[in-house]
Amino acid sequence: MRKQRRIALMVAVLFAVGVLLSACGQADQAGGGEDKLKVGLVFDVGGRGDLSFNDMAYEGLNRAAEEFGDRIEVKYLEPTGGGENREELLRMLAEEGYDLIFGVGFLFTEHIQKVAAEFPDTHFALIDGYIADLTEDSNVVCLLFKEHEGSFLVGAAAALATETNKIGFVGGMQIPLIERFEAGYHAGAKYINPDIEVLVDYIGTTSEAFKDPFKGKELAMAQYDAGADIVYHASGASGTGVFEAAVAKDKLAIGVDADQSLTASEEQRPHILTSMLKRVDVAVYNIIAAEVKGEYKGGYHIFGLADDGVGYAVNEYNEAMIEPYKAKLEELKQKIISGEIVVPVNNAELEQFLQDLGS
Amino acid sequence: MSYRRRLLELAAPLLALLFALLVGGIFLLAIGKDPLQVYLTMFRFNLSRLDSIGSILYKSTPLIFSGLAVAVGFRVGLFNIGVEGQYFIGALLASIVGFSLHGLPVWIHLPLVVLAGMLGGMLWAWLPIVLKLRRGAHEVITTIMMNHIAYALVLFFITSVFLDTEQEMVKGLGSPQVRMPKLLETARMPTMHGFLETLGIELPRHVYLNWFFPLGILLAVALFVMLWRAAYGYELRAVGGNPAAAETAGINTQRTMLSAFLLSGALAGLVGLSDLLGYFGYLDIDFPKGYGFTGIAVALLARNSMLGVILTAILFGFLRRGAEGVQAFEGVPMDTIVILEGVIILSIVVAVQIVNWYVRRQEKLMKRRQVTMERAGGD
Repeated sequence: MRKQRRIALMVAVLFAVGVLLSACGQADQAGGGEDKLKVGLVFDVGGRGDLSFNDMAYEGLNRAAEEFGDRIEVKYLEPTGGGENREELLRMLAEEGYDLIFGVGFLFTEHIQKVAAEFPDTHFALIDGYIADLTEDSNVVCLLFKEHEGSFLVGAAAALATETNKIGFVGGMQIPLIERFEAGYHAGAKYINPDIEVLVDYIGTTSEAFKDPFKGKELAMAQYDAGADIVYHASGASGTGVFEAAVAKDKLAIGVDADQSLTASEEQRPHILTSMLKRVDVAVYNIIAAEVKGEYKGGYHIFGLADDGVGYAVNEYNEAMIEPYKAKLEELKQKIISGEIVVPVNNAELEQFLQDLGS
Repeated sequence: MSYRRRLLELAAPLLALLFALLVGGIFLLAIGKDPLQVYLTMFRFNLSRLDSIGSILYKSTPLIFSGLAVAVGFRVGLFNIGVEGQYFIGALLASIVGFSLHGLPVWIHLPLVVLAGMLGGMLWAWLPIVLKLRRGAHEVITTIMMNHIAYALVLFFITSVFLDTEQEMVKGLGSPQVRMPKLLETARMPTMHGFLETLGIELPRHVYLNWFFPLGILLAVALFVMLWRAAYGYELRAVGGNPAAAETAGINTQRTMLSAFLLSGALAGLVGLSDLLGYFGYLDIDFPKGYGFTGIAVALLARNSMLGVILTAILFGFLRRGAEGVQAFEGVPMDTIVILEGVIILSIVVAVQIVNWYVRRQEKLMKRRQVTMERAGGD
């Protein structure tokens, strides 16, 4: 009986604590800064720490936070495992009076569209996604990148550097976005040397493909074994596996999105020829800067070679490796900017491009 | 005794919860947050806003179905880990029926879509149970394997068969969504806003609480009645309790297992529909995963009680909504919440074990005492 009473007591205490907790909830806490510009960013699932795409967005946010110091306040959120609460997170930031809100990745397309319609005074920025019929007065800006142009240059670099006349491409998830990297890379390589062979593999068909370094390594190993001596990866966090394979086989690899020589390990650095830069950080930073100046514009913001939104990386580690090809790459870059070379964006256009090259 | 046992059984989940909050508090301290403040924010955020309440119920909806599916399996002595795959196949079939059948009125189309979902779940449960009954393949192994097949199959259908290629794009820029065509309006589950308005509750527009929630509660009640009042429910429990004895008593255990497992699969087929028909309106590569596994925790915490599942599902919805709140207002990273959820599940399993052991020991002691008392009385 005594035990029984003790248990009853415990339950009672539990309930009391619960009630207390919820009662206390009403009190305290005041609002924070008032005049600061508030910038929010929602990552993709498990996005931070991929050393490429998502981390670049974070980088841009950080740089803006440092630069504008006390004039802005930044916050970033991450959705739950299934990503089903993207929209709620966006909305929460909007409700909290955030002035500018980023959605990192095309999976936010539908959600930003909905939330933006409900908060006409809040500005939104969508990276990689496309929403139809936006104008300068819209409260959404789509940040789009010409990844194919940057990929064209690293493809050309690979073709210039290869000794076996065979190069490889490891894509993450097989979607039009990544196929654009492939098409540009392929075109750039063939532009330099029509006889070059390009091996292509994709890691998978889910977003998991962007965080599977084991599969990345396996595919890169197979490509090196098949005679490729340079492999370009467009596979997010899976790319670390590609770099490992390059070290193991003493071959070269090309990074993606960020300048990956900088984040790679000491032993990987000599094996990274260059990286295709997709300056998500610049895009994020620019939009924040515009917002600070009161110059935010809706619509589409397209980052290509012309405005250094994409490009190839030169740093202290790869300088010697890339130096011999730099003149040629700069020449190609100018040709693309001037429109002399039109880089294909998908496999159909690539075929046309190759035919035109042949004739 | 039975009153006391009830109390104990009720206390176990609560104790587990408290323990989990304590462990979670240690994690919060470790990352430099004040646990009390974080929990306070969670409660305030969850209970003081109407949209939070709606969101909690919305988030609990798939978990009610998946908890019920797992619990029905447990009741007949089968461990259905395959709810995950079953709801994926259910969502696949529902989506196909939802976008392809034009020109039907809502009252035909919507039920058809829901039935397609249930059928998909049943289909995916059918193979493992047949393999078990015919060949003795353990359902834990086969259903886990079926989960992987389901993921792959759904992806294949999204990316290669029914990919919506009609999406507008700036030429060659950005990325189209990797999804099937959008469901027709007649296939969408209406939200509860209209109904709640007649009750004077103005639920914010952005909450996607839909009729699957009351449907889930109705189903739970129906299953409860079936389990405890209907002959079939009795057979089901008998088979779950002791198959050999049930067989001896003239129950066709094979048939009961088959039908109960298919029932579990059909319930599982409903899991993804609240999101699919009530929120997204399309099936894409990003369709929420993991409800099936969370359902196991929901059923365990509810100790396989059909009505308990409603409460525990809402508890998980509460945690998930709270996670958004503390992430946004306290800067607690998502991962901490995931850890908290994991700790809750672990401590529940442990707490339930301890309570069971304690109850058994008490019963033994009681019996011994009774025996001695009887002896004493007899002398």
